[in-house]
Amino acid sequence: MSAPITRGRLLSRGAKGGATLLVAGSALGAFADTAAAALPSGDLAFARLLVGAELLAEDFYTTAIAAANAKPAVTSYLKRALANEKEHYTSVAQIVTGAGATPAVAGDIDFTYPAGTFATARSIVKFARQLETTILGAYLGAIDGITTDSLKAGLARIAANEAQHLGYFSAAAGGKAFTLSFPQELTVDQASNALDAFTA
Amino acid sequence: MKIVALLAAAVLCASLAGGASAKRASGITIFAGSSMTTVLPQLDADNTYSFGSSTTLGTQITNGAPADVLMSANTTVPAALYAAGVVEKPVNYTRNTLAVVVPKSNPAGIKSIYDLTKSGVKIAVAASSVPVGSYTVQVLNQMGINPAVQANVVTKETSDANVVAKVALGQVDAGFVYLSDYVIDPTHLTLIKVPAWAQPKITYALAIVTKSPNQAAAQAWVKKVLSPAGQAIFVKNGFLPLANAVPTIAKVSPATAKAGATVTVTGTNLRGTTSVTIQGAPARFRVVGAALKVTVPPRAKSGVITVTNPSGTASKPFRVG
Repeated sequence: MSAPITRGRLLSRGAKGGATLLVAGSALGAFADTAAAALPSGDLAFARLLVGAELLAEDFYTTAIAAANAKPAVTSYLKRALANEKEHYTSVAQIVTGAGATPAVAGDIDFTYPAGTFATARSIVKFARQLETTILGAYLGAIDGITTDSLKAGLARIAANEAQHLGYFSAAAGGKAFTLSFPQELTVDQASNALDAFTA
Repeated sequence: MKIVALLAAAVLCASLAGGASAKRASGITIFAGSSMTTVLPQLDADNTYSFGSSTTLGTQITNGAPADVLMSANTTVPAALYAAGVVEKPVNYTRNTLAVVVPKSNPAGIKSIYDLTKSGVKIAVAASSVPVGSYTVQVLNQMGINPAVQANVVTKETSDANVVAKVALGQVDAGFVYLSDYVIDPTHLTLIKVPAWAQPKITYALAIVTKSPNQAAAQAWVKKVLSPAGQAIFVKNGFLPLANAVPTIAKVSPATAKAGATVTVTGTNLRGTTSVTIQGAPARFRVVGAALKVTVPPRAKSGVITVTNPSGTASKPFRVG
């Protein structure tokens, strides 16, 4: 399991030449906090939205695994995806925390799913495909929409992982693992509205 | 005609400057946030209720107003009064969510909260000095759209009831209220969701006034509010159950089932369920709405079905066969 991308790492990987933040951990943290304090409200809104998206993903994969209707091979990917989403949550939540705000946690949001979502292996992977399409779009939109350049590289790495999820579940649902050369990005309002469909 | 009553209550609240749409009765005197206007009389019609801004009511109690219980639309007012020795230790009693409502005719064509940033939209909000107003600002800040929406605000009201009235009458294109305000009377309003990821934690707290001469009756009222029956009335009116409240099982249907069959468990506070067992055997389950769908595990034995969440457990007899 890879180490989660902290806000500090997100910043450091994006820093020009990688030199700006090649300092001791404590100094890095201080810089991160300073930078975070200046995080534009639109960027912070994107981070909050991504936190919500990751909580949805965690909730879905947890429920899908508990339903135990998927084949062992698929279940193993559900578990792997859940582990990934948990690490993503930790990372994007730290962006919010670094800005001096409180990220949403499991239990803050009540999620709801269409009837039959967890009834069969096929319904699970079909929903996973839909979910990952939305989440990938949200990350791509965030990368395009946020103005804090130093956050973009870290978010792009998460987006790459979400694209892997999407590819697997697209194939598992009977479709092609990939089709579009340029997957659809979602603006913050599009992503928010898409996520709303899954909240009570 | 609910809207007429709502409008009347709103006008009365406004005319009494946040203090006293009072209903005289034989019970105790309760000062409550205006979002409680409809729900509290359903719990007990014999109390004397004074509805208004929680902040104003808190000030009135501090100044000696004869209240027995304060039921605030937030936790901060009771906490401040508790720190000042004015009330006993506060207790959370319900939760709510923020919502946007538009007139049924929706003349501005609003479909999403983001549409409120468009030029020319007329918006009503509550003043930031009252809880619903401060929650509104909090949400808009979290979404990064506060300046754009505030530019369209044409009125700042003294309560959520007043905002509802303005929207229902078509005087504005949209307003920020509690979800419970919409649930009370959806006839004249259309609901626009506030994204869950941007929702503030809206928790309501109550406290018994320290100088109340009716301590026993006040404590009985608090017990009634927190009881499953009391909580069910809040939920019926659009409020949320207390977070992590202990689950209860009302019914298991069917009450007898074979291994591999699915049974439905209904009750309260089941959404946060972490485990289900049948006579000790772990069972697969999923949350469907407010209920649980439980698969009877292989080799399960008759006994009890037990539901667990972080706050506690609930059990009900169940027969396998």
